[in-house]
Formats: sequence, structure tokens, C-alpha cells
Amino acid sequence: MSSRRSRGEVLKWILFVWIGVIIWAAFFYAPAAAGFKGQSSRIVFFHVPIAWVATLAFLVSCVASIRYLRTRSMADDVRAEVASSLGLLFAILATVTGSIFARIMWGSYWNWDPRETSITFLLLIYAAYFALRAAVADPERRASLAAVYSILAFVTVPFLVFVVPRIYWSLHPDTIINAQAKIKMGSRMFEVLMGSLVGFSGLFVWLYTVACRIERIRRRRQQEVL
Amino acid sequence: MWRFLAEAGAVFVKDLRTELRTRVAFNALGLFAITTLAAISYTIGPYRIAQADRPYLLSALLWIVIFFAAMAGLDRSFVKEEDSHTAALLRLSARPLVVWGGKLLFNFVVLELLMVILVPLYVVLMGFQVLSVGGLIWILLAGGYTLAVTTTIVAAIIARASSRGALFSVLSLPLLLPLLIFVIQGTRAVAEGSAQGAGSALRAVVSLGGVMTIVSIVLFPAVWNE
Repeated sequence: MSSRRSRGEVLKWILFVWIGVIIWAAFFYAPAAAGFKGQSSRIVFFHVPIAWVATLAFLVSCVASIRYLRTRSMADDVRAEVASSLGLLFAILATVTGSIFARIMWGSYWNWDPRETSITFLLLIYAAYFALRAAVADPERRASLAAVYSILAFVTVPFLVFVVPRIYWSLHPDTIINAQAKIKMGSRMFEVLMGSLVGFSGLFVWLYTVACRIERIRRRRQQEVL
Repeated sequence: MWRFLAEAGAVFVKDLRTELRTRVAFNALGLFAITTLAAISYTIGPYRIAQADRPYLLSALLWIVIFFAAMAGLDRSFVKEEDSHTAALLRLSARPLVVWGGKLLFNFVVLELLMVILVPLYVVLMGFQVLSVGGLIWILLAGGYTLAVTTTIVAAIIARASSRGALFSVLSLPLLLPLLIFVIQGTRAVAEGSAQGAGSALRAVVSLGGVMTIVSIVLFPAVWNE
């Protein structure tokens, strides 16, 4: 138990240092991209990994929901709920960082660009997931209905992320996974972006583990009170 | 397959009979659609939108009327079984997929009946010119089916929740937003006579409908037997 805890402490410090190095590299190692106003392109090292983590969190929620429907274990319901809440948090952060970029590049925080629209829809879908959870009193029924809704919600993600932005003309810069399947990025920028993706994924894993533990304790306390 | 269709048909006929007795869903959908159409026609009418904006704005308004009318009545399909305490009997007498199939067919038929009355009225009152009528029929059929399949599974979810109130709209609308974008885009394309635009929108609608059908078939038993 104590060796597991000390390993966790070490990993936490590695993550802390890693994120610190990424922040430094984003401003001092990678060059500013051509064709963007001032230093605005540097936001890609934070905005893209945040959006990636939001998608990863929704995927984790979907997988945990499938597992819940198979096993009926409340631990999976905890995982699904925590992953959805983290997904919602990271989706809000992706919206905020995207808005800051939009203000600098296009002069307005919000333009109803297809990608801005897609992320708004995602926020609404996962807000509805929590509205459903709040509307069902029985914990087991709440868990199974929320699991079904979480899977339905994740089904719409590919349509929102890949189809909607391709039906409408978009102001958004070309994505990393683009139609030509080519990486249009300098090697230094690419290295920092990949490092940031790893760092933010690690940050998600850490937050997810801690939040699952807190949620389990909260539910146990709630049961003891009842 | 034939047995499934016959049993689902029996559930559909049962629902149609009870609906014809009470007319709750017919009245809710029909009156909502007609009232909204009257309000739009009176306030905007056929001449207050610039010619260049007409295909897009009139397509958007048409689908907003259809979507909100659907929200007003399609939740009844499962809620009425719970309210009249017939859900347990239905669970004993029919397999989950048969119930899902019957309810889906009922919702689809109700929506298409609504469209048969609403769309010609809308075209006349709003002066909506559609260059490809055949294309519009395909969009209405595919859009109506995808709308029905999504609202059917959400109606099943909210019937099992304790506070139903506005939950149906809260859960359905975010899931339906990608569909709303695709059908508006498709209707605009058929109004302008653009076969390419209509084709890509129709493919997106059919894909979403197909995915929702498969996911609903897999998930419905978990909701129904909860």
C-alpha cells in the first residue's frame, strides 16, 4: 500500500515537472506559427490537448457506462459520472481557450463557427446528462438510465466533431487530423504539441483517479447517513 | 423477421387505438405546429425575408416548428404506459425489441402525418419555393425517421425518471441538434435545387439515423427492463 502511494507521489511530481517543461517550451522553444496574429498560435499547445482530453473523458464515460450495463457495479457508475464531469470541465476550458484565440484572430469572442457550435452542442448534451442524473432518485435506476444516455451522447460526438464542421465552411484553422492526412506543422511545434498531449492526458488520469476516490467516499458517507 | 414485424405492428395498432381514443399526442403536436405556423406567418409572412436569405431562413423555420412540435407530443409514447399502469402488462406480453419497434413506428407515423399537413401549409403561407420536391420528400422521410428513433429511446428513458416535466426536451434537443443542422442544410439544398448539397446532408441524416437505430436496439432492453 505504502509503495503504491510512494509510486503515485513520484508520478505526480513527474507530471508536475512535465507540465512545467511544456509551458516553458510552448513559449520559448517552439516558434510562433506563420499566418497567425502575433503570438496567438501558441494557444494550440493548450487548446488542442484540452479538447483532446474532453473527448477522451467522454470516451471513458461511454466505456464505463457500457461496463456498468454489463456488470451493474456502482464503481463503474462512479467512473462514468466522474469522467463526464471532467469531460464537461475540459470542454468548457476548450471553449474558453478557443474564444480567446477567436478574439485575437477574428476580432470577436464568438462567431458561431461550426467548431464553436459543435462544442456548444457537446456542452449541452453532457449538461443534459447531469440533468437526468438529478431527476432520478433511486441510485440503481439513476445509474442505468444515465449509462444509456451517456452512450447515446457519445454516439453524437463523431457527428459533432467530424461531420458538422465539414458540412459548413469554417474559420477554424486546419485540424491536426485533416482531410489531406498531412501534418502541416514545424517539427519543434509538433514536438511540443505531442508533449502537451501526453502531459494533459496524464493530468486527466491524475484528476480522474482523485475524483473517483472522492466520489466513492462521498457516496459511502451518504449511505452511512441514510 | 416477419414475426417481429407482426408483433411490432400489433403494438403500433394498440398505440394508435388508444391515441384515437384520447388524441393527446395528435392534439399536442397538431395544435403546437399550427399555432407556431400561424405566429410565424403573421409576424414574418412571405415577403419580409430578402430573396437571397429565403431558402436558408425558411428551411430553418420549418424544421424548428417540426422539432418543437415533436417535443410537445412524442414523449407520450412511454409516459402513458407508466401513467395508466399498463407498462408491466406490456412487459409481460411483448419482448422489449417488439415494444421498441411498435413505439418507433407509432412516433414515425405521427411525425409523418404532421409533416403531410404542416409542410404544404407552410409552403403556401410562407411562399417557400422548393426546386426539388422529390429531394424534399426524401429529407422529410429520413429526417422524420431519425427524429422518431432518437425521441423514442429518450421517451423510454424519461418514462422511468421520477420528475418528467421538461426532461424530455432537455434530454432530446441536445441529441437532436446535429440532426437539426443536417436537415436544415438538406432542405436549403433542395430548395435551391443543389443535388450535391442535398446528397451530402441526406447521407449525414441517414448515417445518424442508422447509428441511433443500432444503439437503440442494443440499449432499449436495459431501459425497459430497469
